[in-house]
Parts: sequence; C-alpha cells; structure tokens
Amino acid sequence: MTSLSTPRCFWLVRFAARETAMDPSEVEFLAEKQLVKIIPNFSLDKIYLIGGDLGPFNPGLPVEVPVWLALNLKQRQKCRIIPPDWMDVEKLEEMRELERKEDAFTPVPSPHYMELTKLLLNHASDNIPKADEIRTLVKDIWDTRIAKLRLSADSFISQQEAHAQLDNLTLMEINTVREFLLDSLNCMYKLRSNLQPGSRKGQLTDY
Amino acid sequence: MPCERKPMRYGHSEGHTEVCFDDTGKFIVTCGNDGDVRIWEGLDDDDPKFITVGEKAYSLALKKGKLVTASSNNTVQIHTFPDGEPDGILTRFTTNATHVAFNGSGSRVAAGSSDFMVKVVEVADSSQQKTLRGHAAPVLSVSFDPRDEFLASASCDGAVVVWNIEDQTQTVSWPLLQKTNDVSNAKSLCRLAFRPVAGKLLAVPVETKVHLYERGSWDHVATLSDDLLTQQINVVAWSPCGRFLAAGSVGGSLTVWDANSKLCVERQKHEKGFTVCSLAWHPSGSQIAYTDTEGCLGLLDGVGTSSTNSSTTKVPLASTLGPDKFRDDDDAGSTVAPEAAPLAPLHPVYEGPMPSAPQKAFQPGSTPAHLTHRFMMWNSVGIVRGYNDEQDNAVDVEFHDTAVHHAMHLTNSLGHTMADLSQEAVLLACPGTDELASKLQCLHFSSWDTNKEWMVDLPKGEDVKALCLGQGWAAVATSALMLRLFSIGGVQRQLFSLPGPVVCMSGHGEQLLVVYHRATAFDGEQALGVQLLQLSHRKKQLISGEPLPLSPRSYLSWLGFTAEGTPCYVDSDGVVRMLNRSLGNTWTPVCNTRETCKSKSDHYWVVGVHENPQQLRCIPCKGSGYPPTLPRPAVAILPFKLPLCQTATEKGQMEEHYWRSVLFHNHYGFLSSSGYEINEDAQNESQKEQQELLMKMFALSCKLDREFRCVELADLMTQNVVTLAIRYASRSRRMALAQRLSEIALEKANQIQEDEPEEPDYSSVCGSGKPTSSSGQPRVTNILDNMTSSRKSTPLSRSAGNLSKNPVLKPLAPSQSTLLQMTGAAAAARKTTQEDPEPSADQQKPADVPPPASPAENTENKRPKTGFQLWLEENRKNIIADNPDVDETDVIKEAMGRFRTLSAEERLENHSLYFRCRREDQTQTKTDIFSHRKREKFTNIMLQSLDESDRFNF
Repeated sequence: MTSLSTPRCFWLVRFAARETAMDPSEVEFLAEKQLVKIIPNFSLDKIYLIGGDLGPFNPGLPVEVPVWLALNLKQRQKCRIIPPDWMDVEKLEEMRELERKEDAFTPVPSPHYMELTKLLLNHASDNIPKADEIRTLVKDIWDTRIAKLRLSADSFISQQEAHAQLDNLTLMEINTVREFLLDSLNCMYKLRSNLQPGSRKGQLTDY
Repeated sequence: MPCERKPMRYGHSEGHTEVCFDDTGKFIVTCGNDGDVRIWEGLDDDDPKFITVGEKAYSLALKKGKLVTASSNNTVQIHTFPDGEPDGILTRFTTNATHVAFNGSGSRVAAGSSDFMVKVVEVADSSQQKTLRGHAAPVLSVSFDPRDEFLASASCDGAVVVWNIEDQTQTVSWPLLQKTNDVSNAKSLCRLAFRPVAGKLLAVPVETKVHLYERGSWDHVATLSDDLLTQQINVVAWSPCGRFLAAGSVGGSLTVWDANSKLCVERQKHEKGFTVCSLAWHPSGSQIAYTDTEGCLGLLDGVGTSSTNSSTTKVPLASTLGPDKFRDDDDAGSTVAPEAAPLAPLHPVYEGPMPSAPQKAFQPGSTPAHLTHRFMMWNSVGIVRGYNDEQDNAVDVEFHDTAVHHAMHLTNSLGHTMADLSQEAVLLACPGTDELASKLQCLHFSSWDTNKEWMVDLPKGEDVKALCLGQGWAAVATSALMLRLFSIGGVQRQLFSLPGPVVCMSGHGEQLLVVYHRATAFDGEQALGVQLLQLSHRKKQLISGEPLPLSPRSYLSWLGFTAEGTPCYVDSDGVVRMLNRSLGNTWTPVCNTRETCKSKSDHYWVVGVHENPQQLRCIPCKGSGYPPTLPRPAVAILPFKLPLCQTATEKGQMEEHYWRSVLFHNHYGFLSSSGYEINEDAQNESQKEQQELLMKMFALSCKLDREFRCVELADLMTQNVVTLAIRYASRSRRMALAQRLSEIALEKANQIQEDEPEEPDYSSVCGSGKPTSSSGQPRVTNILDNMTSSRKSTPLSRSAGNLSKNPVLKPLAPSQSTLLQMTGAAAAARKTTQEDPEPSADQQKPADVPPPASPAENTENKRPKTGFQLWLEENRKNIIADNPDVDETDVIKEAMGRFRTLSAEERLENHSLYFRCRREDQTQTKTDIFSHRKREKFTNIMLQSLDESDRFNF
C-alpha cells in the first residue's frame, strides 16, 4: 500500500496535476475517507482537522474514524478495528449468490467495498474474524461483477449501441474499464469513419 | 383453558432439541444441536449449567441421576446428574443414535439408531445388550412398556413395531407412517409412548391423530383427534398419572387430551408456530415443558390445575393411581412431594411465602465462575480474562489504555477466581481448600521499587468472598463476615465486621461501597443492605446499612461507581440506579436496559457508567445474560432516561431532560466538597443547559396558560433567569404572573445577599471584576416599564405625574432596608480588606441587587425610585468624595437628602435620562444576557465556596 507511506498532501497534488483516468491507488485514496469503527487503546481529546472533527478517543470505547487514520493507528498498535457490518461471511455469501443470479449489477454494501476489504484485510486481518473466507468471497463478487461488465461492454460494442446504463457500479469497477473502453471506442470510431465514403483523412487526426 | 403459556426463551442453536424434567421436577434439562445439555433451574434461569456431550446431541433421557445422551460421535453415553461427570459409554452404533429412552425403573435404556437397529442396554452393566433387528430404515423413536416386557419403536420405513424384549422378536407391526429414507426427511418424529401406569395403552402419533392400541391384544381401541389440529403430530407424552396425553405438532400446536373421556382439554399454540420437537411433563403433572426446532424452550404452567378444575374426578384418580408400579420404582416421596400437593392435599403444607435463596457473592463485571473461558473483571481500566481448560490455567490482564501498563499473562497455579483491576494494581484471590488457606495476591505494577507483587494468606477457614481496589487501598470481604482493608503496598489496615454475608463490593478513589445480605427475603426477593464509606483522612460512613432498593423479584447484577464517583448499581431486571446525593442519599433509577432489548433473553452487560458525557457503557448480549470471551465483544453506549411520566409529550421530555441534567451534575458538588478539582466550564455549561430548559418549560407553560406552574418553575431558576422570565411574561402580557415572578426575584436576591457577605474575598472579586454589573439594574426595572407602558398609552406624562405626586422615600423603603442589612456586613468586609483600592466597587455590587425586588413591592411607584437610583449611581462618587469617612448607610441617607433638594425639573430630566438608558438597553438585550451569565457564574462560585465555609460565622 503506497498511500499509507506517502503523505496525503502528495496525493492531493497528484490529483490536481493529472487529467487522465485515475489509477487504482488513487481510487484507494478516496476509499480511505470512508468511516470505520475502531476501539482505541489510548486517550485523546477531540482532534480538529480540516475534514472534520475526530474523537474524542476513550480507551475501550468504539469511535468512528476514517480508514486512513484507523490503519495508521493500527500499524502503530494503537487500536483495534471493528470490521464494517457487511464484512461478514454470511452476508457476503448471500450477496455473492444474488450477484450470480441477477443479470444486472446488484447494489454493493459499500461504494468502496473492494478497496476497504483489501485495506482492512491487509493491515488488520487479526481483528477480522474469518479473514480468508471474506477475502475469497469479496474476490468472487468482484470477479462476477467484472465478468458482467466485460460481457456488457462486449455486447454494447457488438450491437453498436449508443448508450448504456451502468447502475450500482463502484468507482473502482468503472475505473478498471474506463480507459480501455473509451480508447477502443475512439479507435473504432476512427476506423469506421475511415470506411465511410466521402470522408477525408485530414479530419480524423483531430480525435 | 386457564393454562398459562410462558414466553419462549432461547435454549440452543437452531435444530432438533429435546427436553425432560429431572426426577424431582426441580430442573428442566434440554439438549440441542450445539452439543450441550443445559440444566435450567426453572424457565427464568439466565445462567443454566451446561454439560458438553459432543458436537451435537440428538436425544437425551434422565432418570435417577443418570443422564443418557445420544451424541454425534455415534455413541450413547452416560453423565452423572446434576454434576455432569462423564460416566462411561453405554453403547455404540455405526451411525448416530436418534432416540434414547429409559424404562420405568431406570434400569435399562433403549436406543434407536440411524443404522436401523434398536438396542436395549442394562445401565448397570453395559455388556448386557439386546439388539432388535428388523427395521428397514432409520429408527425414529423408542418407548418401553411400563412392565418391561415390550418395546415399541417407529421407523422411517413406515412401520411401528412392538418387540418382545426377551425374545428379541417382533410381536406386532403396523404400517402406519409415510416412508422416508432418513430422520431428517421424516414428516413426523413419531415419538410414541406407552401409558405409564396400568392403563395398558400405547399411543402412536399418526398424521394429525393419535392412535391408541391396547397392550396385549394390540387392537386399535381408540383415536384421539382434534378438529383444530391440521398438521402432523410430532411427539406425544403421557402425564405422570397416565390420565392425560399431550401432543406437539409440526405447526406448533400443543394439545392435551383426557384419555378416559377422549376429549381435548387443552389447546395451545406455539407463539411463533415453530415445530414442537419434544415434550415433557413435570413429575407433578402441572407443567409441560416443550422445545421447538429453532432451539427455544417453552413452558405451559397450570396444566394440572386446569384439569382438576375441569374434572372433579382428578384427585381420587391421582391418589389411587399414585402408588403404582411407576411411582414405586422411583425414590417415591421426593417425586410426589411438594409439587403434587395441590393435586392431593393429604398432609398439611406450609403455604406462606417461601424464603428465597440468597444470591451468591460475585465480582461486578465478571462472568460466571464455572465457565472455562470467562471474564474475571471488565471495568473502565481494563479486562481480566480467566482460562481454565485442559491445557492452560491462566489469567490475562489487558488494559484499555496501553499507557497504563502493557498486557500481562499470568499462570494461575493458585486457581484464582476473583479479580479486580485499577490504574495501580491487579488484585486476585482464590478460595481456600482443605490444605491451603484462601490467598490474596496483588500485582502492584505501579510500585516504584523492584517488588511488584505481594501475597497474603487469610486465617484458616476464612475465604475471600469479594474484593475491590480503590486508590491506594484494597478491600477484601470474607466468609467470616469481615472486611479487611490493605494498603496497596500490602500493609494491613483497618478491619471491621459486616452486618451480613457480602454480595459484592466496589471501590473508587477513597470511597468503598459494600452490599450485603440484610436479612432473609421471601418470594424471590433479595434483602440487601448497602454501606458507603469514605476512606480519606477524615474517615466516615456516608451510608450506614440502608436497604438497597431492587426491582421486584430481582437480584443485584452489577455494582460500581460512575467515572465521576457516584455509586451506581444494576439489578437483574436491567434497571440502573444511581445515588442522588442531593436528595438525602436516595437511589434514582436512571435507565432500564431491558427496554432497548429486542427479545426477552437479550441482555445488556454493564461495564461502566459515565456522568459527563452521559453514557452507559455496556455489552449487548444476544440470548444470554453475559458475553462470551470470543469473539471479542464490543462496547455499546446506551443513553440514560429517567422513568418520568408522559415522556412522549414535549413537557415530559423537557422535565425528564431537566431532572436528568440536575441528577447527573450532582457530582460537581460532591467532588468539590471532597477537595477534587472540577471542570468549571463543564459545570457552568450544565447549569446553563438546566436554566435554558427551565426557561423553555416556562415558555411552554405560559403558552398553555398555566401561570401557577410558571411560578413553580421560576422557583427553580436562578435570579438572573427569573428576570428573563419576568421579561417574557410581561411581553406576553401576563401582568399578574410578572408580579409574582418579581416577588420571587426579590426573594432570590435577598438570598444571594444573605449569602454574599459570608465570603468577603469573593464579593470583592466580583465587585472589582465587574464594574459594569450595574447595567443589570435599569434592565430589570425596564421589564416592568414595558409592562406598564403597554397598558398605559401615555407613559411619560403619567409617570411624570407619579413622579411629582409621590414622595421619593416611600418606594425606596424596602430596598433601603435591605441595603441597611447589607451595610453592616459590607462594612465588616471592608475592615478585612482595608487595602482594597476601590471600596466603592465593593458596595456597588450589593447596591444593584435589590432593584428587581423594589419594583415588585410597588409597581406603581417604581419610577421615581429608579430615577433616584440612577441619580444615586451618578452621584455616589461625589458623595463619597465629599464624605470620605461615612459608611454605606450614611452615603444613602446623604444621597436622599440631596435628591430631595433637587428641583422637580431636574428630577424629570433625570427621569428622561433614565428612559434613554432604557431604550439603549432594549437594543442591548443580548449583551445583557451575556453579562448576566457571567454574573451567574460568579454567583455559582460563591455558592460553592459557601458549602465549605462555616455558615455559623455569619
């Protein structure tokens, strides 16, 4: 995980500088803003940050903090992380079954489920019961959804549709196909317009 | 049908469960899919003993202290009852047994198995087995003939077979049931039953009816049915007297027939309609326990009594059938004794209230001692866990705040069962054994020398019953009704005798709270007494053995202090009560944790109480009274709520909020009086909150035209808020109310005046620190001006008339008298603070207090007076400058003299000046309120310090 070792301001600068599609670590950065419950083992008054107030931290009492702070504290052995409600084998199994049954995308428990699972399981697997099973289940759900996405992209192109509805897709999922899909559509457009009679080559370079 | 259906409770994880009573009827014994046998002391037992018999338990039977279970390791094993010691394996099958049953005398056990076999084994000698082969599918159920000749069994092959046990042959076979391949697929468990007494009947549940076959001829003699019964009957059971037959069905119906009349005498429905998979009659025949496939346990009470009411023949029947073979074989008397009494009242029985068993001593924040993995202590400092299994006997200490100390792991070679934990030390204790004395061990980790541990042996025969830690001390209550105090370093300190056996103890700072049994209690109550001791330099007993109030039929389940040091406890009904020091050390219920529970068997396990912020920290426990050690439970926070009436209404809500706020800020008074530093900001914040609430309630009562109530509320307000209330009242044109309020304001002002001079230091601080405090003066009168001006269209001319008509002296009289009262004290104060650079400031403060009072005396005449006061304010300095040596009384006398000499025009001018002030003042209401708050703060400081100072000096 890069973002934990890199200062957060560095990422902000990177965001500002780039215009093309995000890379996964940037999506992960966004996911780190999600709130998660921790049980701190230290005592600290409220801390006032630009993004909002956090705390107060009472030893032994659950408190909600952003994931980046939770992981930071966890790495310094200052807290225990309480996994989110949906990070539970039974619930994920249900979700996987539903995902496999439905043709469309089903609603996911968290807009950053994949990133959160990865972050929490990599850094706090000792606080999450049945971590391995959860990892497999989330990977299954992810694979199913990506397969669906590819299939629909395929039919989108082959049937030459003009637009498509993509409900319940998470940022990370969109991000995996965006660059490739858009580039290939552009490319195909170029090829097609080449074939059409009366078109001039000079115009195409504009794209 | 007056039979009472008790609410279901969680017994086991979902799946097949079985239930039976022990021979005395004292215990309900259940087994289930989780492999545990639970022994319930009645349905309300929240902490049943349990015996783990395997991964799953399929069936159980209990007779004569032998508990026979069929478990998932394909064996039928015996445990002793109620100790739960393994007592050998009775028999084995190639797959799991499905049903086990005792014969009438308890000498043999029959077991049916999924490997199609039925075995009959002698309990005393398990090598004597008889195997009954012939079924072509898994056996569903077995039942002994009361005379031990025959055995009936039902199987998934559809056959119900009666076997001759001696010959191991089939006597008769009926194809009654639907064929299936496995017990799990069978529509009905077909638990058949022989009638226990001489009745010679075999009852077999077939579809929705029960067939009765006659023993010997094996003829189908009768059928019991009920029109309302629409689903398969799963299980039947005869009452111990043999007269009634109970049946439980797939849809959750419970039906009882009278076998003689073939009439249905009782119909009940499972509360959720789950399948009833086991039924058992209480030996007295008055209760039926049943379990369902979701693992819940239920009870029908009063079955016997209802049937006696319905049929008068019941009593002779029971008494004639009583000394039958079935009963004789048991250790007779005990089985029939008290429970059967209502059925056959032959010998006189004591029917008065029964003494209840006194609750055992416990450590608050610990889970039951019989668990292998348990919490020995969970408090605000940390967690002490005890492990006591085959591999390990250890104690783990973990701190919530790792800054206190790192986690510790200790081997528990002494077998400690009690623990307490504080910021300084861990205290452990074990009960004594035959050879070893009871020991107290203290890990004093905060010690600065190298010895971090000490140990003390108690005198022979004296056992530690409860212990607790405070700041710098440890306390131990023993079985000899003694309370021993130790210093944290191990020095023995005082000891004293307790009035009764200890229940539990708790320590906080210098306070020690002890709860003990005060007397024998009756009918499930507990008679507890409580002592609260202060162990500081001035040792004293704050509460000396007063009764501890508990909810009806409940016991104490947690005792402790809030983080701020107020004693607090929880009873088994989930009611949290807190000491109200401001109401003569009474106990106020502040929360009912059971109100937030979703189901009856859910509990909240309290681990801590905080007053600021108001938090009840507890662990939600689903289906049990205490949490397991794994998975690690998480703490939840419950809000407090005083059980006031009508909290759904706005009025009720505000009242509840106000009184809660008052109660939860009592600790400031206590802390400051015992010499602790207090957070003044928080205290002022809370007082502000309370006053705001009062003001809101005041406004609400005003809206509802409840003026009397308004005055009552104003009584609770501080003086400054009363002035606000007066303003509110006058704005909403409630003149009578405003007048009454101003009387209250006067009273309050007098009170403050009486209190003020007692603390000259503070009053001088106030005076010099608040030179602008006189701004409150015109504001107060201003409110009443508003009031009159709204009534009179030409206030200026009228008041001018008043001014000239009325003598100035008269309205001043009351305020002057208070001033005169004051001045003596003020003079005294001045003597002590001779060097005070600005004595006038000192006097200014008392001088501006009376104004709210004086208008109340005479609203009509207040104007000239305020005019005079303004004038006095302006000219005071001149007067003092002219007569530097006079005291306050003389200053005022002099001022009055001068004022009288002023011409009427001058006075009027002065008056218009006053009006100007008033208008400015109206625009500055906000800043006014603010400055009043500041003043209020100082008043509070004064009041606090008064608590400490000796009032008799005044």
